[in-house]
Amino acid sequence: MRALKLPSLPPDQEPGAPGVHPRPLWSLRPKSDRQAGDAVVSNFMLHWFPAKVSRASLDWNYSFWLGTVSAALLLLLVVSGGPLLFLYVPSVERAYSSIKDIEFAVTFGSWIRSVHRFGAHLMVAAVFLHMARVFLTGAYKNGIGQGQRREFNWVLGVFMLLATLLLSFTGYLLPWDQLAFWAVTVGTNIASSIPLVGPQVRELLLGGRAIDQPTLIRFYVMHVIVLPGALGALFVYHMWRVRKDGGLARADRAGRLPAPVAAAPVATKTYTLLGVARGTSPAVTTNRLVDEEATVNAVPDLTRRAAIVVLGTFAVLSAMAVLMRSPLEEPANALVTPNPAKAPWYFLWLQEIVTDTTVHIGSFTINGAFIGGVVLPGLIVGLLTVWPWLDRSPREAAGAWFPQTRRAQNITFLILTLAILILTLVGTFCRGPYWHFYWPWETWPDIPTRL
Amino acid sequence: MERRTNSPYPRLDRPVLAVIGLVLVLSTVLFTVGDRQHEWRYYQYAFRNTVSEKFGPDKAKTVASGLQQVWVPSLGRADRCMTCHQAVKWAGFESAEEPFRTHPKEILRSHPIEKYGCTSCHGGQGWAVDLDPAHGPVEHWEDPVLGASLGEAYGLVDNKSAMMQMNCNVCHRYDRETKGADFINLGKVLVRDKGCRACHTINSRGGTIGPDLTFVGDKAAEQYDFSRLNGQKTAFAWHVAHLKEPKGLVPDTVMPNFHLSTKEAQALATLIMSWRRSPVPAAFVPGVPHSDPRTPEEVVVEERMKTGPGAWFVSTGCFVCHSIKVFGITSPAQIGPDLSNAVEDVQARFGRTIDDFLASPTGTMSVVLSRQIILTPEQKQVAIGKLREAFAEYQKQKAAGTLKPAASH
Repeated sequence: MRALKLPSLPPDQEPGAPGVHPRPLWSLRPKSDRQAGDAVVSNFMLHWFPAKVSRASLDWNYSFWLGTVSAALLLLLVVSGGPLLFLYVPSVERAYSSIKDIEFAVTFGSWIRSVHRFGAHLMVAAVFLHMARVFLTGAYKNGIGQGQRREFNWVLGVFMLLATLLLSFTGYLLPWDQLAFWAVTVGTNIASSIPLVGPQVRELLLGGRAIDQPTLIRFYVMHVIVLPGALGALFVYHMWRVRKDGGLARADRAGRLPAPVAAAPVATKTYTLLGVARGTSPAVTTNRLVDEEATVNAVPDLTRRAAIVVLGTFAVLSAMAVLMRSPLEEPANALVTPNPAKAPWYFLWLQEIVTDTTVHIGSFTINGAFIGGVVLPGLIVGLLTVWPWLDRSPREAAGAWFPQTRRAQNITFLILTLAILILTLVGTFCRGPYWHFYWPWETWPDIPTRL
Repeated sequence: MERRTNSPYPRLDRPVLAVIGLVLVLSTVLFTVGDRQHEWRYYQYAFRNTVSEKFGPDKAKTVASGLQQVWVPSLGRADRCMTCHQAVKWAGFESAEEPFRTHPKEILRSHPIEKYGCTSCHGGQGWAVDLDPAHGPVEHWEDPVLGASLGEAYGLVDNKSAMMQMNCNVCHRYDRETKGADFINLGKVLVRDKGCRACHTINSRGGTIGPDLTFVGDKAAEQYDFSRLNGQKTAFAWHVAHLKEPKGLVPDTVMPNFHLSTKEAQALATLIMSWRRSPVPAAFVPGVPHSDPRTPEEVVVEERMKTGPGAWFVSTGCFVCHSIKVFGITSPAQIGPDLSNAVEDVQARFGRTIDDFLASPTGTMSVVLSRQIILTPEQKQVAIGKLREAFAEYQKQKAAGTLKPAASH
């Protein structure tokens, strides 16, 4: 067969057909706007970024890049989870010893496990802080772009927070030590306080009436297949919506400010490059967004900062994993309850509420698990989900820290966050044996040992 | 071409990115070095040098390097102790300092490392390869090495290493006396002499006034009341104190004070702590019956078959197919005819005398006597003699009317 003869292109000449990119990689130094645009269109990474972004949305002190930190942690968790998949054995007989092997015998095993474990803890924190930032800046609100659906992306975000929590919680059981066993006991006992169907829900979670092999394999499959798949899909959707909604809400805000020098009405194309979808509203003709001084090229200014955040996250986590050892307690023992038995730290505020709302009247006990474990978290998640539609503040409030018009809801949010934080701290540091209260400087009574 | 934006960022962002890159490289170096830094690398180096000095560099080349592990599937143990304790199987280090001491040979003959591992006797964390986690006591590992330092901490009387016998007795719990386990043996003597079983059930035998002690070694430390115990808050310390003065720890107990000496209390506590529900296969436990039990009647019958007048037929193997009812021998298979009246039966079946038939058998017996049960002419004479005895007995019983119906074919 005769080889198909392709016309050879001079190095700098543009390809004939749109979308055809003659080089294997994108160009970091595009020679024309066309090349810059093609680089974006033909490259997956750059799908996340518009060609140009407003300077304001790159500011460290607006977003604190918490979403990027969360994504970097997710990436690290997936990457570090890979080797652990090969090393960990999800059976009640072998799980604990396989973790001991990872800790003591596998090259870099202890570090890999620590990266995975601390990464998971950090991700819960980062995702929560990201949500708090978005709430406080009203970034779920639509701004100047047409067809924005930021409130929908917020709902996706709430689900991603839940997926993150569930991922962390399901991973908690896998080492099959006392910490894992009893944290999951506490967590799943809360489920059984749901009226009418509680015990059945618990049985569904555990695959039986006690935490045993069926529970382990359920949590394992959830942890390594179902939840990562769900979170991955949500993540892709989330990022796509960020682009379609015109990037950060702060860019909308910048677009609202008058340009220092009056300029001609803005062409739609420019908006596309800036990542604001579907043209402009007629009212917006001249503004900061198209000001030369107000925008930068995504490559390299945005990508460099993204690299700083992602690599910085890697470096911090790697150093943490070297300096601190992941906990691994005694093998799980259903007959011996550690005192105190605590839920994972991000659920400790709920455990604290459960104890505080459990009322003893004589020999009669009102169990607080229903209030603290079901009603309250259900209420919070429900409110978070619908909040963008309850928020009646004007469009101008989007993309700014503490605007006047959102003061009341921001303060309410902060108070609630503070309450959760305090309860978490109390649960973590001030609860000792028998869930008695101890100040951090008070020593707990000696925990006896066998020998 | 459109003018590129004058971004103010590169001036600061570039150095920041460079620093981050540096930190990344540093942290990579840190975890690589951290992962390689283990005491065992030093000990292997030191042992190789010691061997080189003592036996020459050629011998030193045979010293194993890298992580060493004994994997005992039946006990579920992966013991990496020999990563540092490399001299365990070497001769010539009998009086060296640990970790380079030769293991006493005698005990290894009956307890080979390949079958028992290290930690099933010594305690400790076999998975661990660092000094503290491997030996303990460390947090979250309740099974420290039962060595002299632990005995020192408890002020053990006489033999500081006696704690290890706790692990001996996990398998040897049904022994009346175990060779080399003096401490445990003393405890067992005390259990018998003081009559512990009057109140306590031990190994499913004993009274019910006190708690069942069969698996009391598994009782979690959290389940003891330490409020009246000074000093170490451990289950072992609790038992020692409780044995010496029961009312001191449990005021309303009915357990009497046996006025045990410290050594006796320690020996008994070691014994008590050894009573664990340990997942040891039955083959490891001396005293556990390895055969299925028989009824006394079965034992009597079997004994009679082996020692009675028909014992010759049993030891030769004839009884596999033939019963000899008059001698009380019942064949398990009962393929051939009862030999009680073989003298007349052979005559009836083959028209030959028993002597003639055994000399040149026909049919099945020709096969059996040429392949399975090969008899010398002398043995055949014995057989004929025995068969005549059986026939005599047969006729006697027939005359007396006590003959049971023969299960002949």
